[in-house]
Amino acid sequence: MGVAFVAHCLLNQNSKVRDGAHCPGVYSPIVDVLRARGWRIEQMPCPELAFAGLNRFWAVREQYDTAAFRRHCQRLATAVARAIETRVQQGEEIVLVGVEGSPSMGVTITSSDPQRGGRPAWPDGSPELTSGEGIFVEELHAELGRRGITVRVAGETHAIPGHDEAGQRARLESVLEHRDG
Amino acid sequence: MGDERSYRVALVADRYVNPEPGQLDGLAVLAAAGWGVMQLPDDGYPAGVARPLLAEVAEQVEEFTRRGYGFILVGERDGLAEALALVGVAVPDRIVPASAAELREFLAVQPVPSALGAARDRPGQAATAAPE
Repeated sequence: MGVAFVAHCLLNQNSKVRDGAHCPGVYSPIVDVLRARGWRIEQMPCPELAFAGLNRFWAVREQYDTAAFRRHCQRLATAVARAIETRVQQGEEIVLVGVEGSPSMGVTITSSDPQRGGRPAWPDGSPELTSGEGIFVEELHAELGRRGITVRVAGETHAIPGHDEAGQRARLESVLEHRDG
Repeated sequence: MGDERSYRVALVADRYVNPEPGQLDGLAVLAAAGWGVMQLPDDGYPAGVARPLLAEVAEQVEEFTRRGYGFILVGERDGLAEALALVGVAVPDRIVPASAAELREFLAVQPVPSALGAARDRPGQAATAAPE
């Protein structure tokens, strides 16, 4: 057991980009697993919400990868890292739960399309998913690294082709139990 | 793709998100009622940790508020009012519930958020928005 620092939208789907909310408010499939296993939940800020607003467009990593967004993410990451550092000093285990496919919150899968821009019109199924971290997660890892802290990661997988809740749950449970795979 | 957001957000004290055994599980009540949750920093955090987190919460509240989302406060948190004031937002209607029933009653009487009405008027949008 320990503390799970979770992506903002896992407790508040209202923060999602328009057309991205999977449920009215709390995304229970992740929350229920964490609580059933006795993990504390602490919600991280949504990097995109305060920066680009609720009426933002769907975007890939390259569109957010600007100096201004990096500075914004570094500010958020410093605030979150202080909280994580406090928990680590209290002897807690830490898990980071992100959102796979997100340009900012992906933990092992983000979205990429170097050509995307201009008037937004692209077909569903564009091959934008790619291995890697989102920008906020990257900045958070960098900030934690400066503090000598490493954390395990898991991700919500709605945006990933073939998503199923049983698989998502199994992966999260594996990370919580600190098993490989 | 449908969008199922409720346009309703609750600022929630940590003790209702991570309740001790026997205490009110506010997160469960809010989830069942279709409210989103913005968790407030644990009271146990030092001020130097909590203050920046509250500032980020306040910035996000400002965006939601400006877009007509409904807001409430469940519980209390030192420093929240000051953080909200810095972004020009008043503390929303508040409850410190002692029971799940009390919280449910409070949620039930909240007004329809203006953003929800606007979404319903938008073609193809929010057809599945949460029940009132």
